[in-house]
Amino acid sequence: MSEETATTKLYPVLPLKNTVLFPYLLMPLSVGRSHSLAAVQAALGTEDKEIILVAQKDPAVEIPAKGDLYSVGTKAVIRKMARPNENLMEVLVMGVERVTLSNLVNEDGYLKADIAVLPLPEDQGAETEALHSSIVDLATRAIELAQPQAPAEVSRMLASSDDPLRLVFLLASILSLEMQKEQALLEAASRTDALRLMHEYLSHEVQVLELKTNINNRARTEMNKEQREYLLRQQLRAIQQELGEKNPEQAEVEMLREQLSKVELPEDVKKEVERELGRLDKIPSASPEHNVIHTYIELVLELPWNKSTDDNLDIAHARKVLDDDHFGLKEVKERILEHLGVLKMNPNAKAPILCLVGPPGVGKTSLGQSIARALGRKFERMSLGGMHDEAELRGHRRTYIGAMPGRLIQAVRRAGAKNPVLMLDEIDKLGRDYRGDPAAALLEILDPEQNKTFRDNYLDVAWDLSKVLFVTTANTLDTIPRPLLDRMEILRLSGYTEEEKIEIAKKYLIPRQIKESGLDAEKVVLPDDTLARLIRAYTREAGLRRLERSIGRLTRKVALRFAEGQAQSVTIQPDDLVEMLGPEPFTIDEMRKNSPAGVVAGLAWTETGGDVLYVEGTLLPDGSGLTLTGQLGDVMKESARTAQSWVWSHAEELGIDAALFKNSGVHIHVPAGAIPKDGPSAGITMATALASSYTKCQARSDTAMTGEITLTGLVLPIGGVKEKVLAARRAGIKRIIMPRGNRKDVRDIPEQARNEMEFFFVERIEEVLENAIPGVASRLQLMHV
Amino acid sequence: MTVFLFSPPRQIQEWQPAVDIYKADGGWILKFDLAGVRLDDVRVQVRQRRVTVSGIRRDWLTEDAGCRHYSMEITYSRFERTIELPDNLSQSNIGLDYRDGILLVRLLQEKESKTNE
Repeated sequence: MSEETATTKLYPVLPLKNTVLFPYLLMPLSVGRSHSLAAVQAALGTEDKEIILVAQKDPAVEIPAKGDLYSVGTKAVIRKMARPNENLMEVLVMGVERVTLSNLVNEDGYLKADIAVLPLPEDQGAETEALHSSIVDLATRAIELAQPQAPAEVSRMLASSDDPLRLVFLLASILSLEMQKEQALLEAASRTDALRLMHEYLSHEVQVLELKTNINNRARTEMNKEQREYLLRQQLRAIQQELGEKNPEQAEVEMLREQLSKVELPEDVKKEVERELGRLDKIPSASPEHNVIHTYIELVLELPWNKSTDDNLDIAHARKVLDDDHFGLKEVKERILEHLGVLKMNPNAKAPILCLVGPPGVGKTSLGQSIARALGRKFERMSLGGMHDEAELRGHRRTYIGAMPGRLIQAVRRAGAKNPVLMLDEIDKLGRDYRGDPAAALLEILDPEQNKTFRDNYLDVAWDLSKVLFVTTANTLDTIPRPLLDRMEILRLSGYTEEEKIEIAKKYLIPRQIKESGLDAEKVVLPDDTLARLIRAYTREAGLRRLERSIGRLTRKVALRFAEGQAQSVTIQPDDLVEMLGPEPFTIDEMRKNSPAGVVAGLAWTETGGDVLYVEGTLLPDGSGLTLTGQLGDVMKESARTAQSWVWSHAEELGIDAALFKNSGVHIHVPAGAIPKDGPSAGITMATALASSYTKCQARSDTAMTGEITLTGLVLPIGGVKEKVLAARRAGIKRIIMPRGNRKDVRDIPEQARNEMEFFFVERIEEVLENAIPGVASRLQLMHV
Repeated sequence: MTVFLFSPPRQIQEWQPAVDIYKADGGWILKFDLAGVRLDDVRVQVRQRRVTVSGIRRDWLTEDAGCRHYSMEITYSRFERTIELPDNLSQSNIGLDYRDGILLVRLLQEKESKTNE
């Protein structure tokens, strides 16, 4: 191999792209470049077919020159050559020895070079040996990792190779190393260098492979875990079958089936439940659907399809219950008893839908409970206040996660009977937004014609709501949609009179508060006049809440005294109230006495009851026209104008100098200035105030009035009579003028109040003025005569 | 280096001439196919039970003869073939006979030795 160490012969050079040929190794090559073809041809033309293979630094260069090639290459012998076609040679070359190139020239169409053999290093030592065996280990490991089924020859070759350099070359050709790295191995100055390089490559390679194998293994174990679980479950099932046990899911389904057989259901519902049970059987318990179906079936089975409580139709009993629970409220109680009577005669009668309207704290909600108690029915209550989602009433479709039946179905389920008393509280405070209008849903629910087949979205089968006694409550009817209002029977619970309040306090509130404070009934005494003061000066309300709170404060103060050692019972006198509750928050609307001409008492209705309203009119020294103040609404302003026009047009009859209308303006103010007021019912009051102003005759201060006025002087009826009268009475007014059309409403006024007051029912404004302004009365009478 | 593939293992040997082995009275005859090899370029070595034939086949139909290879299947260059026989051969006579591109190597016991080279 070394006889040609120094030679002057020029060898053909074949540049290699992307690879390096090592000595001792065979390599197939495809030769296509024309200068390469020429070089191979030249080599084949020699006796021993020798050619120099050298790597190109940049594989992209097509015709490499001296600088493009490495200076160390391999001398090789061409073993075989074939031409698949004219321009391509398949060549099998075998590396012989490594050489350094010099004098590279391009001649005869191919590269030629002088070579000097660069003998392979022969150094030996402990390090080479160590590296050698280490590389064998690494290579074996790499083969195991990368190609467990690699031919046994390879490993055998690795083990048998005793020349470390040969091993390195073999490995380099097996591993797809980068060309630069292969070249470095070829050029290695010592075996140690070459071995070290190879060791480095291999360690890196093994690490990468191990990582890769780990990742693969992990993926495999995960899959295996699932398979394992599945297999175990199958086995569990098999074991359970062997033992004659049912698996929990099946047991569950069986249980539901058993329940189904016990419960009496309508035919179509039964079918639906059976269908769902069938689905439940097929769906694995891990599926979320399973749970949904399960909950659904449970609900259906739990609903009181045929269960209803027996009504207690003993009317005497019902009357007693209602009277015990609530003082007064005659009309409402009558209506409930009527319904009971109807039920007694016709058990299939449709239940009425009641709407209790009244100010807060008058006992609407507790009346509902009383109704249930009187009838012996279950009571369920739900507040509609602020509800703005139709789905809350009608439920969500079961396709939604977390779907629930609507509140109605839930209430029926809680009640456990299909004929409960269902109270829908605060129906006037329903909200509405983009999710739908619950009021629209209520239209169906509260229609006796439709609610026989009420369909809850969740339940999805018809449910009969017609046996439910609906009781709704509201503070005002103004915000209730008309169609909804149409479906209900309105029962008004207007405020209580002072006497009623005292009665209620004595009967219910005081005992309750005494009990809450932990006192005995005999330990605290609240005389009637104390209660009256409490009601008048400390509470101004139609209902009883504030009164009950105030009584509660009193009883707690008394309890404190007992806790501090007080022994005898305490009687609270009216004068003690200031000490115990602080100064009176409300000044009593005392009747104004000796007010100047132009001031007239009117009556107003508010949500919390009635109020006395003074209309003040005064003439101005100059100007003309009408000035209105006191936050008056449009309707009220117009009625003031109507009043003025009437007064003006009847100036002569009233004895008013017509020049006044031209030469002086008039101002009407309605205190309190901060509270907005509206409505036509102050029409006659303003007319009276104007008449009083222009005539300079005082109006009677013990007289209050209410009524709408027309331009021709007619007095039209108004609403809220009871509240207005009670408010007038509170203020100490004795005479009330009101439209003749309201005569019927006087029946509503508690008898006591009715007896104390003098009523004047009028048809025309002249009658009002006759009764209200004594000075004008005489003039009018003159005219009449 | 991220790709790691094993190419099929490659032979790390020089070309090997085919050989027939004959058992003869008192020895062995080995017949090597050495077509185109000049006898001068052949070297035979016998050591213990091994016979090694090595050498080089040169191509004499070179460019000087006015022709070029179009394809090549005959392997030129160095060859080496080692045969291991069951008997120790150090006592044998070695006879070489080269005819028609075939090299006969006779390895016979000494008592019947005729040729010696």
